[in-house]
Amino acid sequence: MNRLSSQQRKFAYLAGILVLLVPIILLGMPSDGRPGSGGYLAQLRSEYDLGESDLGQVDPSSASMNLVLLGLRGVAANLLWMDLEYYKDRKDWAQMRATTESIIRLQPHYAKVWEYNGWNLAFNTSAEWDAVPDRYYWVKEGGKFLARGVERNNDATNLYYHAGRIHQQKVGQSDEKKYFREYYFADPDPKFGGTNDPEFNTDNIDNFLMGKKWFYAANDSELRRKQNIQDRTIFRSSPARAQFDYAAARQEDGKFDDETREAWAEALSDWTVKYGQEVFTIPWDNGQVDIRMEMTPEEIRQATTSEADAAKLARAVDAYQKMTNYRYWRTRGLSEAEQVTSDAHREFYLAGEEYKQQNLNAALKLVSSSMEKFEQVLKKYPELRDEDRMVEECMLAVMLFENIHRLNGERLPDEFPLKDLADEKGGLREQIEDQFKRRFLAG
Amino acid sequence: MDFEPTPYNIPLGFLYWLIVTGFGTIVVLVVTLLALLITRGTKGFGDFLNLLSSAALDIVQISPRRVGAITRLTFLEAIRRRALLVFVVFAILFMFAGWFLSGGTLVPDFQVKLYVSFVLRAIAWLVLPVALLLSCWGIPEDIKQRSLHTVVTKPVRRLEVVLGRMLGFGLINTLVLLVMAVAGYVWLQQQIDEKARPELTCRRPVFGQLTFLDREGKPAATGINVGDIWEYRSYIEGATRARAIWKFAGIDESALNKDGELILENRFSAFRSHKGQMGRSLLYQLVFVNPETGLRVGTQLRQVAEFRGRTDAIPRTLPKAGEAIGGKITEEAGETVDLINDLVSPSGELVVEAVCIDPGQYMGMARPDLFIRTPDGSFLAGYAKSILGLAMMVLLIVFLGVAASTFLKGPVATLLTFCLVLVGMTAREFMMTIVSGRFEGGGPIESVYRIVLHMNPTQELPTGIAFQSMHLMDLAIRQFVWLIFQIIPNFDYFNMAPYLANGFDVSFNASVLPSIAVTLAFFLPCLLLGYFCLRVRELEAK
Repeated sequence: MNRLSSQQRKFAYLAGILVLLVPIILLGMPSDGRPGSGGYLAQLRSEYDLGESDLGQVDPSSASMNLVLLGLRGVAANLLWMDLEYYKDRKDWAQMRATTESIIRLQPHYAKVWEYNGWNLAFNTSAEWDAVPDRYYWVKEGGKFLARGVERNNDATNLYYHAGRIHQQKVGQSDEKKYFREYYFADPDPKFGGTNDPEFNTDNIDNFLMGKKWFYAANDSELRRKQNIQDRTIFRSSPARAQFDYAAARQEDGKFDDETREAWAEALSDWTVKYGQEVFTIPWDNGQVDIRMEMTPEEIRQATTSEADAAKLARAVDAYQKMTNYRYWRTRGLSEAEQVTSDAHREFYLAGEEYKQQNLNAALKLVSSSMEKFEQVLKKYPELRDEDRMVEECMLAVMLFENIHRLNGERLPDEFPLKDLADEKGGLREQIEDQFKRRFLAG
Repeated sequence: MDFEPTPYNIPLGFLYWLIVTGFGTIVVLVVTLLALLITRGTKGFGDFLNLLSSAALDIVQISPRRVGAITRLTFLEAIRRRALLVFVVFAILFMFAGWFLSGGTLVPDFQVKLYVSFVLRAIAWLVLPVALLLSCWGIPEDIKQRSLHTVVTKPVRRLEVVLGRMLGFGLINTLVLLVMAVAGYVWLQQQIDEKARPELTCRRPVFGQLTFLDREGKPAATGINVGDIWEYRSYIEGATRARAIWKFAGIDESALNKDGELILENRFSAFRSHKGQMGRSLLYQLVFVNPETGLRVGTQLRQVAEFRGRTDAIPRTLPKAGEAIGGKITEEAGETVDLINDLVSPSGELVVEAVCIDPGQYMGMARPDLFIRTPDGSFLAGYAKSILGLAMMVLLIVFLGVAASTFLKGPVATLLTFCLVLVGMTAREFMMTIVSGRFEGGGPIESVYRIVLHMNPTQELPTGIAFQSMHLMDLAIRQFVWLIFQIIPNFDYFNMAPYLANGFDVSFNASVLPSIAVTLAFFLPCLLLGYFCLRVRELEAK
């Protein structure tokens, strides 16, 4: 039996509450933002960068939603993920987009959620739409979504990389690249009045340069927190690769001016001076050793104590160079910086334009000249014979050459520049023929 | 609209109601009689007749004045219990809704779809707990507080108590719903961007019947499946003899708009098997066919506007053009046809064929994907219909809740009603699979047998009396589930948001009528159940 009176019991409860308050305050007192302030848990959060503000920008709606759901956040998130799949299957894009928003309110610091949904919007959803402007809208949605993910999660290295990939790969290298690259500067949405969407192309620059900017941010973030997408040596090459893509894209667009040559020069510099001099730590016997892609034999000898070790390290550097295709890109940079390569590209482009205008003689003259120049380049840099883009361009030139002869009712000469390459790469013809049709025969 | 409205069959629905209610009533009466006979012997039969006659008397002598008084009391009591506090939650939700809805960045039709769905869903989910708690706790609380004792000692019949409670709770919930509906409407008008406002409309479609021709021009039940998980649409192949054919009935001049045009709206889908021409969407042609004379007139080529839909205004006088061959249309110079006089049959039938033009590409469609768009109704009218649907849902919950509260205590009654609502909203499809027997592995007994013997569901069972009895038992269980399935209300009818969010008028036959019918169907059984349960309930047992 309880012998205490009602009042005594109330005092006992009050005393109990006060006693329990002490450890609660000591443990859970919030921080006022100054180092060392707040309770034990707040200090631990600060020490391990786990506080909301340490992870990135705080979203009040997200915080309030988690508070309202008490402990049911996981259940709610699961239900929302099921909804997302349901809406996706039923092509209910409005509801799918809204559900994506709800999910990130519940899981704002789960980088994989941002990554998955960013990809879903930019790649899966955009591909479902038939009209190219609609596709571009969803690519932008994915890009903007990932940019928000980065704001909320400053140290999520993977997200920087994936955001860059949307600008570089999806905008610049997809089937719709011709349109997407135009829209990048002149958005099809009338509300932008024929200019860029400032939330997507924030700096009003080329998509590859924007990709490069994101990749640099990814590299900076990678110094703070590791990525788990690919080997570090490949990951850190992304900005320079984006610069190569930028220079190549300018040529594809028919721009053969100083800016293009400068773009190639900058790509070479990014590759050999910035990326090539970066230090990578690799496993070595039972320990580790530092290497650089541009390591000279002398530097290798200095880094080792014996001839055997020097040979072993040289093999290791060689292996990493092969893995990153380092020497090829260096060669490509060197070759593209030469006038003859630039002229070859320009003449091939002009030949195509003349062909489309049905000026077959002018086209034949230009394409023959460009083929000769390509052959000179390939002789000087034989590694380029295995490079997809270069092979593709040379094969297209050969096909154009053959096509003009056919249209003129002339027999193809027994010998012509690039013939050996065309014979060697004959297996690629069918694949490249589709490109030829799209590039030169489409209305 | 990405779903097909199915018209409600009132006579069939009524027949089902009669069967289920009649069967349920007979079961209850037989069980009651048996219980009385067992407990009271032959005297039980007399008691049973007395029970029936007094119930009939209660029904006949029901007083609207006393019911009105109980209703008023219930209404005031609910307000005193702070039921209207739900408005605070509602206000908070709508004040901060902008945080969760990124509508401003969406394309206009998406924005409307999202916001309209949000408003109707928010109202439904906020009014549901109010209806549930008020109706389930009212009578148990009266019994607990003994306030019911003072009521039943007055010349108030228990049937009137139950009816008054149902009406009172129904009234307060409808009031709550109406206030929320008005606030929701104002919120929608303010939040939706100026350019998206035209999407706040109620299309009034005239749907046709859809058939297909395959790539060789032979009739087919459906088109091609291009591998979509969702099999709602089927596809026709481009540059072949494949056609999607809609037959519209009852077409005359009244189908034309004031400018003399026939407005055809479509929601065709596109599927590319190769890149094709990236710079434009797939091309389609609509071909009008007079089903009697066989006259065929093609219209100009148009691009599919996938997921957005497009509206084609077809002038009454059309150039006499043929079907597109190789992407080109032949036209007989200067000759024209009249859409109504030359292409609609005397019986008012109009046939429209959709043709995909691009070779190797596919165009997808379902029956509602092509319709004649008659002048739109006002959004307000459609919104009011959706709110009516929610009001019917709330009334149904109140009926169920009050009936449950007459034989259960508050928390248990709430749980029971909530389960009925939840199952009615989410699990009917699953129950339908069980009832129809369209599942592998048999019924519960057969499933247990298979599980114990590690037999997979496709494995044949041996034959014999034991297995036949097992199947019979499973059949009996399935019939029992069928009865439960009929008792659980179909809440799908009350959700009219998909119509309104997609810019369509709420279908009277497919949604408004069944929602009223379902609520009415549950009213009488709930009232009688509540009445009998309250009659036999021991009021002293709290």
